[in-house]
Amino acid sequence: MTVTIDGIPCACEAGEYLLDIAARNGVTIPSLCHHGGLPGQGCCRVCIVEVEQGGWKNIVAACIYPVERECAVFTKSERVIRQRGMVLSLLRAAAPESAEVARLCEVYDAPEYERFVKKPKERCILCGLCAKACQSLGTGAIVTVNRGVEKAVSTPYDEPSAVCAGCKSCAEVCPTGAVEVIEDGINRTIWGKSFPLKKCGGCGALTGTLAELERAADKAGAEIPALCNRCKQKSMSDVLASTYGW
Amino acid sequence: MAVQTISLKEINPILSAYPKDRRYALAIMQDIQRRYNYIPREALETLADYIGIPLADLYSMATFYKALSLKPKGKHIIKVCDGTACHIRGSMNLVNSICRTLGIDQDGATEDGEFSLELVNCVGACALAPVMVIDEAYYGGVTQESLPKIFEAVRKGEAP
Repeated sequence: MTVTIDGIPCACEAGEYLLDIAARNGVTIPSLCHHGGLPGQGCCRVCIVEVEQGGWKNIVAACIYPVERECAVFTKSERVIRQRGMVLSLLRAAAPESAEVARLCEVYDAPEYERFVKKPKERCILCGLCAKACQSLGTGAIVTVNRGVEKAVSTPYDEPSAVCAGCKSCAEVCPTGAVEVIEDGINRTIWGKSFPLKKCGGCGALTGTLAELERAADKAGAEIPALCNRCKQKSMSDVLASTYGW
Repeated sequence: MAVQTISLKEINPILSAYPKDRRYALAIMQDIQRRYNYIPREALETLADYIGIPLADLYSMATFYKALSLKPKGKHIIKVCDGTACHIRGSMNLVNSICRTLGIDQDGATEDGEFSLELVNCVGACALAPVMVIDEAYYGGVTQESLPKIFEAVRKGEAP
């Protein structure tokens, strides 16, 4: 099957998502809430494109639009540019402190609307990707709470979570850098809780929080590794070298 | 207010009426809400253990639905209509009067746990504006002067 994206014929399977097909064929579609490992969010609407099929043109979110039959896709049509500009302007009002949102606004020429009141000091666009990451890891420490204008990401009762291991997966998937992580070389502080960090027994590099390493080791039924990946590889290659007398 | 002591013995029968499955979480929370007029923290924690899902998931649900409350509610819930008609007829003044009469703030409950206040949108009785509803009973054309009498009647169980 072939879909045409901005005039470029792209081979694809039925059911594949437009965003993936475009990326494979070198067409850039911007997105925020999309993460390869946690698909199906589809809430930031930055990745909207225009799909022409059977004489109709529709605006769809590329990250959650599965291709069913041959169609023509436009990522830079006038309608897409206008609507994406509006989406980005709204996101900028929601998260004016986010560098990534500001960058996208710059690149895609999002118009400045004075009537959109900017939330002070906010970097979060409330996409919920952090909560999804936490949940998919089986931790479930953070969730989106309340709804409407009061919606926020938080731990239960706004207190330090009893189950958080400080793995900072939430911070890593966050597209706008909204999850605050403070590391001072000894502790990592995240979601109002401090976790002691573990150092590699060889080079002294930080390998993660003790709590997350314990949990991972517990799940795998193994000991907490004493070395970081680099040192582990080095020691194994040293063993190999001495075994074969290299 | 007098904090209701939550006995876990009372929660267990509510829980055991349902299978240990995530999809019953909302129904169980509604039952807990009905029993205590709010969802005590202990109950939410016990429920999380019972179903085996993170406390955070239940907390997310409990904060999402308006029908569920994490703060203690009074035995009698006063719903003041703030629809267009009532708003124009001074529902906000009514709210202030109720708060002053009962000595509560807008989302609080009285010391004795008898009353709590909720603001709702249109109860469908615009002709009676401003309207308040206490325990399914409608009170139309409410004035500041009529409030103490109404509350006294509700307290004594003499409400219509």
